[in-house]
Amino acid sequence: MVVEKIAVIALYTTIAMFVGILFMGVGRKIVARVHNRVGPPVYQGFIDIAKLLTKKTNISHGWIYDLALLFSMTGIMLTILFLPIGGVKLLSMEGDAFLVLYLLAIPALGFALGAGASGNPNAAIGVMRALVMMLSYELPFVITLIALMIYYDTSSIAQIVEMQHAKWAIMIPPFVLAAAVADMALQGMLMEAPFDIPTAPHEIASGPMAEFGGKHLGALMIYKAGTIVAYTTLFVDLFLGGGVVMHDGSVLAYLANFAVWFILIFLVFTLSLLINTSFPRFRIEQAFKFYWKYEALLAFISLIWVYLMVIS
Amino acid sequence: MGLFDGDIMKYEDWNKISRIASRKSLWMVHFCTGCGAIELPPVMTSRYDMERFGMGPMATPRQADVLLITGYLTVKTLKRVVNVYEQMQSPKYVISFGSCPINGGMYWDSYNTVKRLDRYLPVDVYVGGCMPRPEGVMNAFLELMKLIDEGKARGWEKYQKYYEQYKRNQKMAFNFEREKDEGA
Amino acid sequence: MKALELIGKGEEMHGRAYIKSDKEEASSIIKKLKENGFDHFVMLSCVDWIDNNEFELVYHLWSYEHKEHVMVSIILPRDNPSMSSMHELFPQIETYEREIHEMYGVDFEGNNRLTPFMLEGWHDMPPMRKDFDSKKFAEDVFDSIPEIKEEEDEGI
Repeated sequence: MVVEKIAVIALYTTIAMFVGILFMGVGRKIVARVHNRVGPPVYQGFIDIAKLLTKKTNISHGWIYDLALLFSMTGIMLTILFLPIGGVKLLSMEGDAFLVLYLLAIPALGFALGAGASGNPNAAIGVMRALVMMLSYELPFVITLIALMIYYDTSSIAQIVEMQHAKWAIMIPPFVLAAAVADMALQGMLMEAPFDIPTAPHEIASGPMAEFGGKHLGALMIYKAGTIVAYTTLFVDLFLGGGVVMHDGSVLAYLANFAVWFILIFLVFTLSLLINTSFPRFRIEQAFKFYWKYEALLAFISLIWVYLMVIS
Repeated sequence: MGLFDGDIMKYEDWNKISRIASRKSLWMVHFCTGCGAIELPPVMTSRYDMERFGMGPMATPRQADVLLITGYLTVKTLKRVVNVYEQMQSPKYVISFGSCPINGGMYWDSYNTVKRLDRYLPVDVYVGGCMPRPEGVMNAFLELMKLIDEGKARGWEKYQKYYEQYKRNQKMAFNFEREKDEGA
Repeated sequence: MKALELIGKGEEMHGRAYIKSDKEEASSIIKKLKENGFDHFVMLSCVDWIDNNEFELVYHLWSYEHKEHVMVSIILPRDNPSMSSMHELFPQIETYEREIHEMYGVDFEGNNRLTPFMLEGWHDMPPMRKDFDSKKFAEDVFDSIPEIKEEEDEGI
């Protein structure tokens, strides 16, 4: 039983990473089409990672630098395991919405650790910005999460997904507002424009990644692929019913749910990319102001609205 | 190290996979001190679109595979180029643009243009012209991909093997006066 | 032209005012021009008149008010040329003076930043002087660097 569970977990994390790497290639293709270019093939992400992992030389900046990558990767994998993928619960439990909030901070901290150990001044600036960015987007995101928890009267993401069987959260008026807020928070989590200042290539030489090269950069790209899947899945689970369309537990339902989950996270990711290609980037204080002033305000409005709906 | 000694996969096969992957995913860092820098935006953007071949600009030398020398190099910039080149991770390739890094070009009698780049760094592909058009640049990239595929783009191995000769030449260019004083 | 009226000497040359001056007078002329609307310092250039054995420093100023370009020219001897620095008048002059100092060897008294600017590790005569043989220098330095001797093997 334990072996089976471990096998399923390993399978799911592998699939998630594969989907993430595929999405990186697809994302580049979509961005290229927006720019009226042909763009790379959709499997470009796999080629890039294969190239980086087969590099002949490798520079390490000490053991913190090496282990920090594992730290981030573990954080992102754990996040994926606590999120229902197509309604399949892996490690879900009561109260895991709070746990996921904590886990979401781990990858960023690991990233910060590795970048700090590399000793590059650009990396230090980038890390500082990434942490400020994390602080900024978490406030509106947490408020929307609290709104969801009040409405569904549970603190388990799996239960939130189950209770959206009849009606997705986004079809309920206050959650349209909350979803808009969460989508902008997602933009910050994925570090896409207008919130890509922590890794801005032209200003601070890609920030925390400045010293990463060879196999380390390859591992970092796998981690990046994981974040794409984790964050989009979180959004889909919270607002789009987790992609669950059939509830009878058959193999067909399992496959259908998985396919719908895939389509939904793809749509969420595409939306994020379209926002990314359409906007220039905010400076860090502008991003902070955007999240804490406007987004937090909207999130509060949705929270009060939900509260009034619940008590009436 | 069974993986590379033939237990699972032969070293040659492993190399071949590496070559196929690196051919289709060349990330470049462009050293834009010369006029060739202006030829790169059309190559990157929608007119010629180098991303079709998986190529793209990278922010730092650590992440990059190809070093583009876009035009003339002075003694001062050569120091920086050598720094950048040595920070890159192998396998790494050098493409030099225009006639200036080939033989000095129009700066053949200049007091600070290093005339021949291949005496200081191993160059894999040259693009002739003053300046080469974006078609020429694209052609050079395709040529580099072909060389990598055939296993002929070995500049970085050459640099390791003849490191002392390259270092001697670089030092001669950097400290020409001091050498002369010591000799006298 | 306005500048010529102000200073009371000089001539018009290709639509620009050209004022010949000397070392002592130049600073007061430029100060007067600056106070009367010529507040854009364009550049400082240097010409090597090797046949006359002299350098010519040219201070270019522009007035947005009068739409006029003024050149203030100073002749210096080629041996030990020196000029007083004017970076109190226009701070950006300091950079031009560093460049002229490096490329022509003109000394600017009062400028404390006459350190190596664009050339690194340069010990020869200033390279923009006309008696500097650039071709011979390039041949001596860059053509003397040997090629990389490769061994004949395929195995690298």
